[in-house]
Amino acid sequence: MHHLKVTRGALAVYTALFILFLYGPFVVMGILSFQKGPEGGPQFPILEWSTFWYSHIFGFAPPSRIAPLPIGQALTRSLTLAFATMVVSTILGTLTAQAFRTKFRGSGVVFYLVVLGMMVPGVLLGLGMALVADQLGVARNWWSTAFVLHVVYTFPFAFLVMLAIFNRFDQSVEEAAWALGVPPGRTFRKVTFPMIFPGVLSAMLFAFTLSYDEFPRTLFTGGPNVTMPLAIYGTFAVEIHPNLFAFGVLTTLFSFALLTVYGVLMGASVRRARLRAQGVQEDIA
Amino acid sequence: MMELTGLTRRFDGVPAVSDVTLTVRDDEYLTLLGPSGAGKSTLLRLIAGLERPDSGSIRLNGEDITHRPTHTRGLGFVQQSYALFPHISVFDNVAFGLRNRLVDPVTDETGVKRRVDAMLELVGLSDLGQRMPGQLSGGQKQRVSLARTLVTEPKICLLDEPLGALDANLRERMTVELRRIREALGVTFMHVTGNEAEALAMGDRMIVLDRGRAVMIDAPDTVYARPATVAVAKFLNAYNVLDGKAEIGGFRHGDVLLPLPEGAARAAHYAVRYDLASIEPAGGAPAPGRAAMPAAFIAREFLGSRVVYFLHRPDGGVFEVERHLSRSDPVDHPKDAALTVTWAVDDVLAFDASGRLIETRRLKGAA
Amino acid sequence: MDATAAASPSAYAAPAPRESFWRRNRHYLLLAPGVIWMTLFLIAPLAMMVYVSFWTQTTFAISPTLTTRSWEMFLSSQTYLDALLRTLRLWLTVLALTFVIGYPTALFIGQFVRNKTTQTVLLVACVIPFWTSFLIRVIAWRPMLGREGAINIVLMRLGLIDEPIAVLLFTELSVIIGMVQIYVVFMVGPVAFMLSRIDESLIEASRDLGASAWTIFRRVIFPLSLPGVVVGAIFVSVMVLGEFATASALSGRQVNLLGNIIVTQVGSLRWALAAVVGVVLTGVMVVVIAALLSLVNLRREL
Repeated sequence: MHHLKVTRGALAVYTALFILFLYGPFVVMGILSFQKGPEGGPQFPILEWSTFWYSHIFGFAPPSRIAPLPIGQALTRSLTLAFATMVVSTILGTLTAQAFRTKFRGSGVVFYLVVLGMMVPGVLLGLGMALVADQLGVARNWWSTAFVLHVVYTFPFAFLVMLAIFNRFDQSVEEAAWALGVPPGRTFRKVTFPMIFPGVLSAMLFAFTLSYDEFPRTLFTGGPNVTMPLAIYGTFAVEIHPNLFAFGVLTTLFSFALLTVYGVLMGASVRRARLRAQGVQEDIA
Repeated sequence: MMELTGLTRRFDGVPAVSDVTLTVRDDEYLTLLGPSGAGKSTLLRLIAGLERPDSGSIRLNGEDITHRPTHTRGLGFVQQSYALFPHISVFDNVAFGLRNRLVDPVTDETGVKRRVDAMLELVGLSDLGQRMPGQLSGGQKQRVSLARTLVTEPKICLLDEPLGALDANLRERMTVELRRIREALGVTFMHVTGNEAEALAMGDRMIVLDRGRAVMIDAPDTVYARPATVAVAKFLNAYNVLDGKAEIGGFRHGDVLLPLPEGAARAAHYAVRYDLASIEPAGGAPAPGRAAMPAAFIAREFLGSRVVYFLHRPDGGVFEVERHLSRSDPVDHPKDAALTVTWAVDDVLAFDASGRLIETRRLKGAA
Repeated sequence: MDATAAASPSAYAAPAPRESFWRRNRHYLLLAPGVIWMTLFLIAPLAMMVYVSFWTQTTFAISPTLTTRSWEMFLSSQTYLDALLRTLRLWLTVLALTFVIGYPTALFIGQFVRNKTTQTVLLVACVIPFWTSFLIRVIAWRPMLGREGAINIVLMRLGLIDEPIAVLLFTELSVIIGMVQIYVVFMVGPVAFMLSRIDESLIEASRDLGASAWTIFRRVIFPLSLPGVVVGAIFVSVMVLGEFATASALSGRQVNLLGNIIVTQVGSLRWALAAVVGVVLTGVMVVVIAALLSLVNLRREL
C-alpha cells in the first residue's frame, strides 16, 4: 500500500512536469509577445516591455519595414471554410453512422474507406488533388479544391464520434416512436436528434477545429487566396517577428472563447430538458 | 381482427419464427408463452413491423399490412425496456404519439391535454405528468409506457414481457391492473411472457410457442389440463414427464412398468400433474386404478398456501408432488427416505413419439 | 378449437409483394453521399498520384507519356534515399518517445485519478494547446531552444552549464523535441481513455490474489491499455510520417523529410517526382498502419 502511494506521488510530479513541457513554449511565446517593437526580435532578452506587436496586428502601429500579418481576409476565409466543413462533415458523418447501425454487406470496406480519410497524410492528398485539378483544368481555390479535402479529413472524425454515440444509443426508443404512428423522419427530428445532440456538438467541434487549423491539405490546393494557416506559413519563409507570437496569444484566447461557447451549449442542452418539463407544469397550472 | 398466415422469419438461415398461423380476435386478452429463444419477441416484432418476414402474411381487418412500415399499422407496442423518451416529461411522453403521428394527429392542445390527463388518470399517474422519465420508479415507467401507447387508441396492443423487469410484488399488482385497463378500453392485448403462471392467469386465450412454432392455441384451462404436446407440458412447469416406451402390460420407464390408460398404446412420454400425485409409504401395492413408482425423498419447499415435495425417481430424475395446505398438513420425511409416489391412471397424459398428446378414451369423454 | 397450429408447411409461404424502394435501399441511400465524396476526393487523388508518378517530366510541365524515369531518379539518388531513411528514423524515435513520455501521464490520469472531474480537467489541460494554431506552436519552440533561448538561459542561471548548448536548435534534435511535444497528446488521450475504462474490481481481485503492484501492471493494466497505445501510435505515425512544417521551421531546412521533398518539388513544378515521393510515402504508411491495425480491431474498440 505504501508502495502505491510513492508511485502515485512520483506520477503526480511527473504529470506536472509533463504539463509544464506542454505549456513551456506558450509561456515563452506569451512573454516574447510583449517584446519592444519594431526593433526587438523573437528572442531574449526583452529589450523593453510593450504592446507594440498587438497594435501591429490590428494595423494601429506606425508604419515600419515589417509588413503587417495578412490576417483580416485570411481569417474570414478560414472561419468560413471551417464552418462549411463542419456542417458538411457532420451531416455526412451522421448519415454514414446511421447506416452503420444495422449490419450490411461490405460494411468493413466502407468503414476503412471513410477512416482512410484521416489516415492519409495531408501532403499526399493535397498533392493528389492538385494533380487532379490540374488535369481537369479546374482552378484551385480555398472554397473548392481545399474545401473538399477538408471534408475528407474531418468527415472520418465526425463519423467515428457519431458511431460511438449510436453504439450507446438505445434503438428501442425509436421503435417506440414508430409504433406510436410517428414516421421515421419526424422520429429522427423529435427523438433521435435531441438525444444525440451532445454527440453531434462534439463532432461539429472536432470538425471545426481540425479544418480551422488545417494546413498541409490546403497548401497545394488553396489557390491564390490564402487561409489563416497559410498566411502564417508564408511568414516562415521570410523572417519571424514577435507579431506572430502576439497573434498566437490572441488565437489561444479566441480558442478559449470557442471552448466556453461549446461548454455553454452543452450545459444548455442538458438544462433544456428540465426547462421543458417546467413548461408543461405551467401549462397545467 | 388480425390474421397471421404462415409467418416465417429466419436469422442467418435459422428460423426464429416458423410458419405461424393464427387469428387474433377483437377485444380479447391473448398471452403468448414460450421459453426464451422460442421466438416470442420476434413474432411480436414481425407483427409490429420492426422485423420483416421471409414469408407469410399479416392481415388486419381484411387488409394486408405485411409490408407496411411500423408507423402506418396502427398497432401499439409496449417494450420490455419501456423505452421512454428520456428528454421529455411524462406528459409529453404520453402526448407524443397524439401530437406527432402521421395519421390523424391531434393538433388541438386542449384535446391532447384532455386525452393525456384521462389516460394518466386511468394508469394512476395523474400527479406525475411533469416528472422526467429518469425520476420514475420501474412500475411508474411501465405505466407511462402503457399509457403512451394506449392513448393513441391502437387496434391491437402488443406487450413484450411488460412485467419482466418488475419485482414480484409489483408484478402481481400490475397483472390485475393490466386486465382492468384492457377491459376499460376494450382493446385487444397480445402479451408475451416467459412466465407460465402469468400466461395462465391473464389470457382469455393463450398461444404456446416452441422453437418458432405455435404448438398450441387455446383457452388457459384447456392448455393446463390437456397440453397438446409434451413440450407444452414441460413449459407449464406443472407436469412430471417420464420418457420411455409403451409395451405389452404398460409403459416401460427404466426399471419400472407403469399402467397406461386405455388407447395409449403408442405412448413415448408419460405425464403426471404435480398436484394429482400423492406420496405413500414404500412397499404397499397400489390401489386399483392407480399407478405407483418407488421414489426417494429429497426436500420440500413451502410456498405459502402450497407445499412442493421433491423426490428422486429410480432413473435419477426429479419427481414433484404438490399439495395444497387447505387439503392436508405438510409432512416431513427424512432425507433419502424410501417412499412411493402414486397417481390415478385416469389422470395420466400420454404423448406419442412425435410429442403429440394421445386422445385416450377419458380425454375424449371429457372434451 | 384449433388445438394445434398447422405444423405442415403453409400454402401461404409464397414470397410477399415487394416493399417500397426507400425501405429496401435505405442503407445505400444513407451511405451514398459519404462513399461518393470519399471516392471522388480521396481515392481519385491518390490514384492520380500513382498514375502521375509514371508520367514524363519536362522542365516545367508533365505529359502523360508513361515512363519510369522519375522512379529511376528517386531510387538512384542518395539524397532521396537518405530522406527516406531519415523519415523512418525520425518517425521511430518520435513514436518511441511519445510512448515513453506519454504513458506515465496517461497512467496517472487514467488509473490513479479516480475522480471524474479531476480526470476531465487534466485531459482538457493536455488538449488546450491544440486550440492554438499548429504552426504557431511549432514557432514557439524557437525562442525556447535557441542559443539565447529560454532553456539555455534557465540552465545558465542555475549554473548547470557555462556555455549555451548550441545543438538545441536547427538540428534533428530540435525537430524531435518539437514533434514529441506536439504529438505526445495523441498518445496520452487514447491510453488514458482505455485505462480509465478498466474495471476497478479487476485490479482489486488481482491484489486479493496476492499479485504485486508490478505484476498487476504487467499482467492486467498494461495489456488492457494496449488498444489505446495502438490507436495512439496510429495517430502519431500518420502525423509524423506526413510532416514537413516542423522540420523546415525547427531545423532551418537542415533536416529534409519525404514531406519536405514533396513540397520542394511541387514548388518547382516537378509534379512527377513529387508523385513518386508521394507513392513511396504512401507505401510506408500502408505498411505501418496495416501492422498496427493487425494488433487491434479498431471497430470493436469504439
